Amino acid sequence: MKLKTILMAGALSVAGSVAAAECAFENTTELRSLTAGFEAWKAVTDAMAECGNFEANLDQEFREKQPEAFAAEPSLYHIGGVSNSTMIPLLNAGTIRPLNDLVEKHGQHLKPNQLITVDGDIMAVAMMVNNQHLMYRTDIFEELDLEAPTTYDEYLEAAAVIEEADVVQYPLGGTFKSGWNLGEEFVNMFLAHGGTFVDDNNMPTINNEKGLASLEQLKATTEYLDPEYLASDSTYVQQQFQQGQIAMANLWASRAGAMNDPEESQVVGKVTMASAPMGPEAPVSSIWWDGIVIAANITDEEAEAAFRVAMEGMDTEMVQANPEAAVWLVDGYEPGEIAAGAAATAANGARPYPASSAMGIMHSVLGNGIAAYLNGDKDAETTLADIEAAYMTSAKEAGLID
Amino acid sequence: MKPKVFAAFVGPSIFMMLLFIAFPLLSVFWNSFNVTQPIYETVEVESCTAGFLEQTCTTEMETRPVLNEDGEIMRQTEFVGLQTYRNVLEMDRFWEAVSSGSWTGLQNIDFWAALRFTVMFTLITLPLVVGFGIGIAMVINNASQFIRGPVIFISLLPFIITPVIGALSINWLFRGDGILTALLEWWLEQDLALFAQAWTIELLMMVYRVWHVAPFAAIIFYAGLQTVNQDSLESAVIDGASRWQRLRLIIIPHLAPLIIFVAMIHLMDAYRVFEEVVGFRAEGHVISLQWLTYDFLKPDQAGNRSISRASASAMLTMIGIAILLVPLLKRTWRDHKGTH
Amino acid sequence: MTAKALRQPASLKIVSGTFLAVWCVIAAFPIFWITVMSFKSPVDAFDANPFNVIFGPATRAGGSGWSILEIVLALAVVWLTARITMRRVPALVAQYSPGGFVALGWVVASALIGVGFVLAFFGLLPLVSDFLNPLVGPLGRDIIGATTEHYETVWIDRGFSNNFKNSLIVTAGVVTISLSVGTLAGYGIARSGSTLAFWILIVALIFRALPHSVLVAGYLPVFINSAEWLSPILGENAPTLYGKPAAVIAVLVAINQPFTIWMLRSFFANIPADLDEAARVDGCSHFKAFRLVIMPVMWPGVITTGLFSFLLAYNDFLVTSLLLDASNQTMVPAIAGMFNRETTTTDQVVAVAAAVSITAPLFLLVMVFQRQIVSGLTAGAVKG
Repeated sequence: MKLKTILMAGALSVAGSVAAAECAFENTTELRSLTAGFEAWKAVTDAMAECGNFEANLDQEFREKQPEAFAAEPSLYHIGGVSNSTMIPLLNAGTIRPLNDLVEKHGQHLKPNQLITVDGDIMAVAMMVNNQHLMYRTDIFEELDLEAPTTYDEYLEAAAVIEEADVVQYPLGGTFKSGWNLGEEFVNMFLAHGGTFVDDNNMPTINNEKGLASLEQLKATTEYLDPEYLASDSTYVQQQFQQGQIAMANLWASRAGAMNDPEESQVVGKVTMASAPMGPEAPVSSIWWDGIVIAANITDEEAEAAFRVAMEGMDTEMVQANPEAAVWLVDGYEPGEIAAGAAATAANGARPYPASSAMGIMHSVLGNGIAAYLNGDKDAETTLADIEAAYMTSAKEAGLID
Repeated sequence: MKPKVFAAFVGPSIFMMLLFIAFPLLSVFWNSFNVTQPIYETVEVESCTAGFLEQTCTTEMETRPVLNEDGEIMRQTEFVGLQTYRNVLEMDRFWEAVSSGSWTGLQNIDFWAALRFTVMFTLITLPLVVGFGIGIAMVINNASQFIRGPVIFISLLPFIITPVIGALSINWLFRGDGILTALLEWWLEQDLALFAQAWTIELLMMVYRVWHVAPFAAIIFYAGLQTVNQDSLESAVIDGASRWQRLRLIIIPHLAPLIIFVAMIHLMDAYRVFEEVVGFRAEGHVISLQWLTYDFLKPDQAGNRSISRASASAMLTMIGIAILLVPLLKRTWRDHKGTH
Repeated sequence: MTAKALRQPASLKIVSGTFLAVWCVIAAFPIFWITVMSFKSPVDAFDANPFNVIFGPATRAGGSGWSILEIVLALAVVWLTARITMRRVPALVAQYSPGGFVALGWVVASALIGVGFVLAFFGLLPLVSDFLNPLVGPLGRDIIGATTEHYETVWIDRGFSNNFKNSLIVTAGVVTISLSVGTLAGYGIARSGSTLAFWILIVALIFRALPHSVLVAGYLPVFINSAEWLSPILGENAPTLYGKPAAVIAVLVAINQPFTIWMLRSFFANIPADLDEAARVDGCSHFKAFRLVIMPVMWPGVITTGLFSFLLAYNDFLVTSLLLDASNQTMVPAIAGMFNRETTTTDQVVAVAAAVSITAPLFLLVMVFQRQIVSGLTAGAVKG
């Protein structure tokens, strides 16, 4: 890094901040947002910042801070970034406002699919969806004369063939990191078996044949994974893919773009996207969305300005500038090859992630409890019984059941 | 010193500790005996969520908290006595495992598994830290004056490095085909997966902790070595004491107060082992007490957190440290009485 | 001293020398390795072959690298900096700092060295090597692939300098307040033989044993709503403490007090009580005696303790990540954020570069203060 470049970049960044670029209106209200920090949010908040007087907080701890900060009088942030599950605490506490009026006034261009409604009130505006789908190495599949698997059993069979042929280090990749990631793997598998996690009284309903079958499928998968699977998260699986160490994975759609990034991938153009393999009832996947909410504890003027700024952040222009950052819901997005897997998975009937307060607890106890089964410390029945017991303790403490 | 003057000297410090440590501590104590929870109602809700092309709308029974007229969640607090402690300790399962003599049964209970690892971690690293500390201090002391400065500088590196960064760099070196794993594989001529089973992870965590803390011990012992009474060393030489006897009879006793100090600090820090568990992604294999507390405290996606169990497990952690510290505290008390 | 009698046999010398050498390699290797990684393209940085990581073929193919000449020059700059810092600076500081402001002199000196190094390494060096490279033939050809683009990304695109500034504010605040409050308390406890003093010490020790995560989670709601509950006292101007560096400083000072008191108490206990008693006989109050007699001799211990406070504040993750906004975050949570959110491999190397950047000031600090640490400890800051 040469001094000249430092100085020039400094000068440029100053110049850049002076010229508020490409925003349809000039925002004069001080606005702040609190969102997660991944690529899509960076693109959206950068576009919002063009309107001026806007401070974006891309925070890793947003999950912990958001409920408290939105409950303050007045709310510390105007715009919040949520997903289907992180919206729950804000919705429960009534700290986000219905957007019906604002959508009518400034959001006529939004697609109906983007409007997240609860009892007829629009509570959030979604900007992107995400799910898990199959990614596989076309070259390896051609070499071994394999067909792209459509069911999970075929997925495992193909893994066995690849293992036999010994062409890559590990046939499969999986986000089995103990905790949230592992919980999500079970959730997908259980949804694919047509299971429901809790009943109407919030009592757990996972200790049954569907639960056992799901666990067994997960265990069967681990045979073909890197033995350090309990420490592997999506970034790690993505890197394994990029370095040509694995041949297949059922991975997040938001990771698909990285496979073809010439800067860091050694398998550019060799990875094909397809639908997530089918379980007995649905694809082994769950559909998530991310979007914005507006705080309740702010003035109506602030809310209006915040909504307008947010709409500027989620416009066609932003999507066209960042087509690879996510599977956008925004008008003007043209799904390319990369999004084919996500689309096919949805078309095959993938179920939405069943977000609720009880599900939050269920997801955590699943994520903590399944490792013992995969390690061989417990058998499947004990594992599920222990997970249900842990769920009961947590749900009682939270007040969800008596 | 008059009480008034004493109060003026220590006042600001005490005030800050009371405000930011003692007061939260009281609330932790209170929370461990009480449970605060929202009042829930079950209502039928129609909700629409985004799909890929079309929305999915469902009508379901949903549980949600009741809001009061100010729009805030209504909560109730209930005194539950030791119930939360029982939930953390899971005593019925504990006795079941003990009476059937099943070690795996015991290790399947989170708290006891965490306690096992935490105590083992603390007790194994303690002598290693002290031992390596003394060793490093002595060889630095033995080095020629010319290179001492750079050597002390290099020795201090593991101690000053930001713990989060340190754990991460160990991760890169050992994870998957990390450079040091590759080296070990080449040396042992077999495939290794260091993060695939509990014992290698535990070993790595201990190695990391010793690497991180030994320099702190070493620099303190090195300072201590500078004040060893040279006269008594010389007379020992004249008396024909061997090198080993001089070390055992003169140097170690001279360092004794420092060893106690280092041991005390290390016991407290090691018993709170946490960064390693997160940094090494060990949660699937081993957990520690502070990790357990943290996990109770961390809100899940829907915002639920187990404050009561976190408080109980924090109190239990404190009790554990207090027990470990008793022998050292006794000695401090004797010293205190002795000097005044 | 009878040097002959104490002389060591060759075997012992060799063993001791080898042990020291091995230890130095173990101590420095991880840091050395992440430094190497930070200069490579993502493909090289995470390569399984160590030689590819060191020589960086993909990085060199990308068109950026260092020639032998540049490496020699770079090493020379590093060596010179280290040498000047260790040899010259202490004397200069002692000479130019007005009495009683030695600590301030050190701060200024460290800042100057840091700025000087960055200017020489990133400013002067490329100019010189650009000029010389064509002249020296093969020595001027790139042999090691290396790129500073990740540092550019961190410091310029990601605005890491803002995090750096926040870290400076928090660290400076914590060290200053922690030492002022702790010195008084340490002195008070050391000179008071009362049982109360002992119990304060023990309770402080137990406070130190508390798991921080529990304490910190309790602060969050209180700090976020502080405008509400402070308004009866402060009226309209009641601040929201959440996100304010001052609040983080207060918390870190409190958390750090137990250790500070312990260190300073044992340090003061080793300063003969006769000194200040003599002053008291001459009619000084406790405070005056403290100021006139103790202050001039307490600096070694205070500097050492201050260094520990510095490390705590600078390295803290738990408190800063939870109580600060993303816009006024310090460096450690900023880096952790770079790693933990959904990242690309390039992001990871950028984060490695950030990790190296955060370690550099610590390097400088230890280089400058190394002698003071040892002399402070020797003077009794740790007599238990």
